[in-house]
Amino acid sequence: MFKQNKFTVSHAPFWHDGDSIKAMNLNIMAAALPATLFGVFQFGMAALGVICLSISSAMAWEALFNFVSKRPIAIHDYNAAVIGMMFGMMLPPTITWWAVITGTFVAVIVGQQIFGGIGGNPFNPAAIGVSILLLSWKNLFDFDAALLNYQFDFTALAPLAALKHQGPGVVELFPISSLVMGNQIGSIGSVFGAGIILGGLYLIIRGYIRWEISLAYILGIIVTAWIFNITDPSKYANPMFHLFTGYTLFGAFFLATESSSSPVNLIPMFIYGAMGGFLTILIRNIGSYPDGTLYAILFINLLNPLIDKIRPKAFGKGYEQCAK
Amino acid sequence: MIKRSFIRLTEPKLKCDLVEPDPKEPEAIPIPPRMILLLNEPLDSQRESIIKKGDMVKRGERIFLYKESQEYVTSPVSGTITAIAPFTGNFGKVATYFVLETNTKQDIEHSFAEFAANPGIENADRYLRGIPGDPPLKQLADPENRYNRIMITGVDDDLMCTTRQYVLTRFREKISKAVALLKQLTGINDISIVIPATMANLSAFNGMNLVRVTSDYISSLPPMIMDKHLGTPFVPGKAGKDLDVCFISVEAALSLVRVYEDKQPVYDKVITIIDKTGKRSRVTATIGTPIHRILTQLGVETAEQDRIIIGGPLRGIAAYTLYHPVMPDMDTLIVQARGEIPRVSDYPCINCGKCVKICPSKVPVNLLVRYLEAGLYQEAADSFDLFSCIECGLCSYVCTAKIPIFQYIRLGKHELMKIESDIKTEAQDV
Repeated sequence: MFKQNKFTVSHAPFWHDGDSIKAMNLNIMAAALPATLFGVFQFGMAALGVICLSISSAMAWEALFNFVSKRPIAIHDYNAAVIGMMFGMMLPPTITWWAVITGTFVAVIVGQQIFGGIGGNPFNPAAIGVSILLLSWKNLFDFDAALLNYQFDFTALAPLAALKHQGPGVVELFPISSLVMGNQIGSIGSVFGAGIILGGLYLIIRGYIRWEISLAYILGIIVTAWIFNITDPSKYANPMFHLFTGYTLFGAFFLATESSSSPVNLIPMFIYGAMGGFLTILIRNIGSYPDGTLYAILFINLLNPLIDKIRPKAFGKGYEQCAK
Repeated sequence: MIKRSFIRLTEPKLKCDLVEPDPKEPEAIPIPPRMILLLNEPLDSQRESIIKKGDMVKRGERIFLYKESQEYVTSPVSGTITAIAPFTGNFGKVATYFVLETNTKQDIEHSFAEFAANPGIENADRYLRGIPGDPPLKQLADPENRYNRIMITGVDDDLMCTTRQYVLTRFREKISKAVALLKQLTGINDISIVIPATMANLSAFNGMNLVRVTSDYISSLPPMIMDKHLGTPFVPGKAGKDLDVCFISVEAALSLVRVYEDKQPVYDKVITIIDKTGKRSRVTATIGTPIHRILTQLGVETAEQDRIIIGGPLRGIAAYTLYHPVMPDMDTLIVQARGEIPRVSDYPCINCGKCVKICPSKVPVNLLVRYLEAGLYQEAADSFDLFSCIECGLCSYVCTAKIPIFQYIRLGKHELMKIESDIKTEAQDV
């Protein structure tokens, strides 16, 4: 009775669907690749340098923080790498190195680690990083200035800035097909609309992002911009222009869908997404910033815990009285 | 193991296995020289037990630990008790185990025979607890029970299990006797049979109430059957004799029939065994047989760090020893190879929402698990629907962060119930 094997004893369930945080993050990075590669192709090695520095410094910050806070080093789950990649994709290709390192510090440490690390961040960390840079060194994000030395065979104006300063007359300068194919001035990862949509659809099909959020966000953009547009076409641009410029698509598929800062119930997901689209257009059309995506996303992140309280009644709820 | 599919627009639909169309007769496991019996009562060193090491017991004799004990275990063979020791089960539940050396000469205890001609629930509860299938006789005999309906379940409640389906198809012509016997025993006339929706050739069930359940996972769990088919609302936190419906496995119902036909308790349990390669075999083993006897006879190998699962892959329990005895409700035995065992992690919830989407009870699992991890069980029950959980295990199955959510849920319920029963005991003492 006494010599026997030791068995693994643990709690049910004994099966798992095989998914993991690492697989999820690798898939998100793979989905972001088409847009990023296009950015590198369009803007040259400078863009590649920014992306690489962004990913590596984000991972380094996380490792450093793990070390200082005496927690296990967790960079092998690629969580910091995803933040770094998202952050890098929102930068102009010619941004200086210290801004990248400062930005990833804000994104990884202020945006996530001080809230307890992965799963604890109330805001999208990459959006926090870019927003802080945008508030502190506004000129770094002047895409027209950043890309002054490039030669392009399309209108070399940042579409949203041009819209802000010159009115909707400029919309004609930017044919939609050209915007979709990435022929526009902007950040490394946000110019190639078709690539972002491709990546977003991939993530939706694989189940790594919640399609309800992306769909509601895009619908929010289109409906709000359309309402503005029909009320006064001479003051407000058409919805398609808004959809394919700035960070809109990137926000819809990669920023708003960040899991820990977005809701999980069905109705809240639609409210959250639609609200994001609505606020983006509101900031662009009425506010003072050319692109409102980041602030809109931070704002809906803030609302997330509140709207996620709208949830279905659990099984058997309402019958408790019978038990007593 | 069913893995996540590449395309995952919707949540995975898990299907329960159906019994093979032409099942082989189960292989009989001979009565081993040494049996192990589990008694659901803790050993108390302060009191003197009435059963001692070296005592002889007859086949069919009930073993009580103390004079005033209510719980008993029936000896399936006649033999000599060679050891009495405490046994720790899930959640630290303490029981007592007896080791029994089987005698070559089998004596049979006949005290049940005189009641066999006249079936009644009290006598059934007094003599027949722990027959194969584990009929809930204690609850049925409790005068405070509220049952007005009995469901004989011929479907299994986990993915790979097929034992109940096998028993249902193999002995279908005896079901009518089981229904008649249960009516006579309990006085409850509303008896239904739960059968797989795909089952053909239903002539044996003429005139009976049938509930057809699909093979989708969890549609065979009692709360789901009650909700979908009976119109009886599921009430969180209500269980056992407080329910209106009593679920009894088809094997338990048929064991009762055999007991009253033979005028003595029966002990041979049908078990489905699934080895590391997924090969399925079926045996009949006497209750109390250590499971290594079954595995050895079938040639199923186990190695260091494998997992022995009693029950199905999503709701079963893991055994820590091959000397675990065959229990009255042990339908399935799975050996999972070491390399197949998924690891759990200590990551926090990343709020991916997969659990919320898959939860059949619409429990906000993402919030619930945060409270359970922090040990805030009362808040979890009050605000986050802990007791709405029907324990299907799907949340842990899909969890990206590999949090043992199901374990937290069971622990939370267990702790709350313990507090509740402590309060009751204190109130009684006062």
